[in-house]
Amino acid sequence: MKALQQIPRNALVWIIISMFTLVLPHIERIPPWVLAVYCVAALWRIMVYRGRWSFPRWPVKLGLIFAGFAGILLSFSTLVGLEPTVALLLTAFALKLLESAERKDAYVLLFLGYFVILTEFLFSQDLFIVLLSLLNVVIVTTGLVALHRPGDNRFRMRPMKQATLMVAQAAPLMLVLFFLFPRIGPLWTVPIKSQQAKTGMSEFMSPGDVSRLSRSGEVAFRVEFNGDIPARSQLYWRGLVMSRLQQGTWSALSFYEAPASERRHTEPERTGEPLRYSVILEPTQQRWLYALRYARSTDSGIMSSSDFRLFRPIVIEDDYLYQVRSWPEAAIETNLSAWRRKTELSLPATDNPRARALAAQFVEESSTAAEVVERVLRHFNAQPFVYTLQPPLLPERDAMDAFLFDTRRGFCEHYASSFVIMMRAAGIPARVVAGYQGGEVNPINRTVIVHQFDAHAWAEVWLEGEGWVRVDPTAAVAPERIELGLEEALAEEGSFLADSPLSPLRYRNIDIINTLRLRYDALTYRWQAWVVGFDQDRQFSLLQDFFGEFTARKFAAVLLGSWALVLIPVGLGLLLRRRTHELSKLDKHYLAFCRKLGKMGIERDFGETPQEFASRAQQALPRLAASIADITKRYNALAYAPPGANETELRDFIRTVRTIH
Amino acid sequence: MAPATGMSTVDRIRARLRRRFRAFITSRIPPSRVVTLNQKRIFIFPNRVGLFFGISLLVMLLAAINFQNNLSYGLTFLLTTLFIVAVLHTYSNLSGLTLRAVHAQPAFPGQQTEFELQLECSRRKEHVGIYLKWPSSNASTVNLVEVNQLRVQLHAPVGKTRGWYSPGRLLVESTFPLGLLRCWSWIDLDLHALVYPKPIPSGELPGLATEQPDGAAIPIEGSDDFYGFRDYRHGDSLRQIYWKGLARGQSVQVKQYAAYADRSVWLDWDMFAGLGTEQRLSHLCYWALEFDKAGDEYGLRLPSMSIAPDIGERHLEQVLRALALYGDEEQ
Repeated sequence: MKALQQIPRNALVWIIISMFTLVLPHIERIPPWVLAVYCVAALWRIMVYRGRWSFPRWPVKLGLIFAGFAGILLSFSTLVGLEPTVALLLTAFALKLLESAERKDAYVLLFLGYFVILTEFLFSQDLFIVLLSLLNVVIVTTGLVALHRPGDNRFRMRPMKQATLMVAQAAPLMLVLFFLFPRIGPLWTVPIKSQQAKTGMSEFMSPGDVSRLSRSGEVAFRVEFNGDIPARSQLYWRGLVMSRLQQGTWSALSFYEAPASERRHTEPERTGEPLRYSVILEPTQQRWLYALRYARSTDSGIMSSSDFRLFRPIVIEDDYLYQVRSWPEAAIETNLSAWRRKTELSLPATDNPRARALAAQFVEESSTAAEVVERVLRHFNAQPFVYTLQPPLLPERDAMDAFLFDTRRGFCEHYASSFVIMMRAAGIPARVVAGYQGGEVNPINRTVIVHQFDAHAWAEVWLEGEGWVRVDPTAAVAPERIELGLEEALAEEGSFLADSPLSPLRYRNIDIINTLRLRYDALTYRWQAWVVGFDQDRQFSLLQDFFGEFTARKFAAVLLGSWALVLIPVGLGLLLRRRTHELSKLDKHYLAFCRKLGKMGIERDFGETPQEFASRAQQALPRLAASIADITKRYNALAYAPPGANETELRDFIRTVRTIH
Repeated sequence: MAPATGMSTVDRIRARLRRRFRAFITSRIPPSRVVTLNQKRIFIFPNRVGLFFGISLLVMLLAAINFQNNLSYGLTFLLTTLFIVAVLHTYSNLSGLTLRAVHAQPAFPGQQTEFELQLECSRRKEHVGIYLKWPSSNASTVNLVEVNQLRVQLHAPVGKTRGWYSPGRLLVESTFPLGLLRCWSWIDLDLHALVYPKPIPSGELPGLATEQPDGAAIPIEGSDDFYGFRDYRHGDSLRQIYWKGLARGQSVQVKQYAAYADRSVWLDWDMFAGLGTEQRLSHLCYWALEFDKAGDEYGLRLPSMSIAPDIGERHLEQVLRALALYGDEEQ
């Protein structure tokens, strides 16, 4: 009874392997000392197995637990939140190994292992992570199988074969459940998942922010158009509208900062054919969504703000898929409310006097607002302005004056910001828009991949009769940025992704790397669209497409039918598996001999040796006594001979058996 | 209404359920020397670990719902279906296993005895982690891997009364491969151990009957006058082997004593007139063992049968068997 409950050596080895493969995908977000705990725990457990050390006593265990808590608290300075919780779970997982003496401890450890796999998905649903996690499921299952093979006292791969087979058989059933299981909303609010900042737009923009973002080659979002992809120069993905300038920093107005009457925008006239597309946004830890203007979404849970943006009340912590329709030609907000006009004209009283003076000069020289815009853009174009990812540092006071008249080197946010300041100084309502511009078309699946380096800032001015019109001052300085993208715009400077020498995006000119990158990206897109973005709405429409109206009866039929389709062959395969061990030729013919005698009334009893049987048979069948003795003698001789040694004698034996009648 | 035994209602219901279950099992799995486990004989149900696994799955499902995380859903469903697939695998690990009663050693009342059985895989390739146990025996866990048959010995104390002792139903159990489900069967291998009567000494042997014409009672004690050697014959007691000679390289020889060459004793049912059946059998058993120890020839005479005087282990076994089964029709 005692021996049964011990952990076989093979199982212990698999459990230790699984510990390390489970912690692998978490490595980037746990403190390094947790890994040290893993190594020490594994070493200690191996030494216990070898009988050199003993299991830690309870004061030591208590000490280790406290040390674990203290370590997490020191490393994260909190115990609340997903990262500290997971780090704590992983530490506890390692320490549990130190008290795994019996089978029941191994169960706790292995089930905890399954849970550790789940926690990884809360951080990343990347395709690579999923493959690694699938491997982890197999390894943990292998541990479970090895645990039930008593007497396996050396490392063996065999349990893994069984585990792989079982996981493979379970996978199709899992897919059925995945697509049929009703999706419901969260039962209670869960803590914000990650406290780690994500690369991406922030709510504030001061000079240098967008250029910093442009050093990253990460994907911001992917777009799939229903129909033709518009020209690159038309792809202005609006994210934030920044109407407030405070101490040189632009920021967006929050929903509640607008008076109640201003919180909903007027419905613009929808002119022209809408663009239809779906976006899969990488997690941003923010609420706003990116879309071309003027955008509407029919997805539940997506709202529209008074400055014509889309947003979601819930922070986007996972890949998020949404459908959008955009009318690029629609004129938005042709009638400006007094509050809006005041907001979009407000400037800090005394900032940037030289810029204001220049604006006043332009107003004097022109008759319409559109002409003022034209003059400012011409100014940017004519003067020696440089578009650069490495702008010089600007003074804190009157930064835009310094940019416009002294340094004249800047990135998009410098141009957008100074442009809007001049517009407002000229009495034209204007605001900064932050988002992304352009994107890379993946020829494999015709999606548009928008990277962080596509981050961009531009301006919107309000013109009488036209509403808000997009003006991109960067285009006046570096038109190639808009037409061809950042890489071309910075070709001379060579600063494109200068900090990431290994990014595959830098090697787009090498054909094979680029093809591989685009193929992987296409795969990721499909993965995100089908699996990650699968929610209630999509489930509903999928089932509708397949089964028409989906009733409870159909649900049961599909579930049971598909399961039977998998389980019946698996079951039959298991139960009808024929014996692989075949009787040897010798035994087969000896048994034939026994059957022959059986027909004559002399049955060999179970456990009777050939010799005993022969003497009994000889007495009962004196007629055959000589042959029986001969056959038995030959059988005994052959049975104890080395295998394959006596082919001719075996043939003689078989011939003799055949003579018995 | 309540019987005098003071059984509570719960106890009675439990006893009735147990009776019902026993009747159900007996009708489903009748006693047989050879049993092949199949769907009629195998039961399967999640065990405590399976329940724990189910609770873990529930927690994971809650996490998936609350975090709205599709891959967590996927993992939870994968493990759920793994559990379902495990039902087939656990079942197939036991299915097709053949158990065969080999033999049970005779024993005196209350002694441990050995039950031997043979496991064979008939159709499947391997059976892993098969747990075997009779209600009163020790347990054994065996693997039928890379072998086609395997003998297993289990030890259990026999009952207090002579005759055939049945160890009850054998529990055959396995949780392989995942340990989440318990797959088991209760089989009756029709394997019985012979229980000899309990030897009870009687002061002296009254009215000792011999083959000698004079019929005089000869005292057994002190009759160990050495007579000579003869060659070992099958069935001779190990006590009489002339070990020293054997050690010197001579053939196996047996020391003969003068007394038993001429004395052969009849152990007679009627010697213990006036005693009860069991008492008589116990005394006869005692004397049979005594004579065997001394190396004397002895015979047995029971009302229904008699065994001619002889010596040796086989003879003793025969005599004890006759005593054990006295009054039993199927001798």
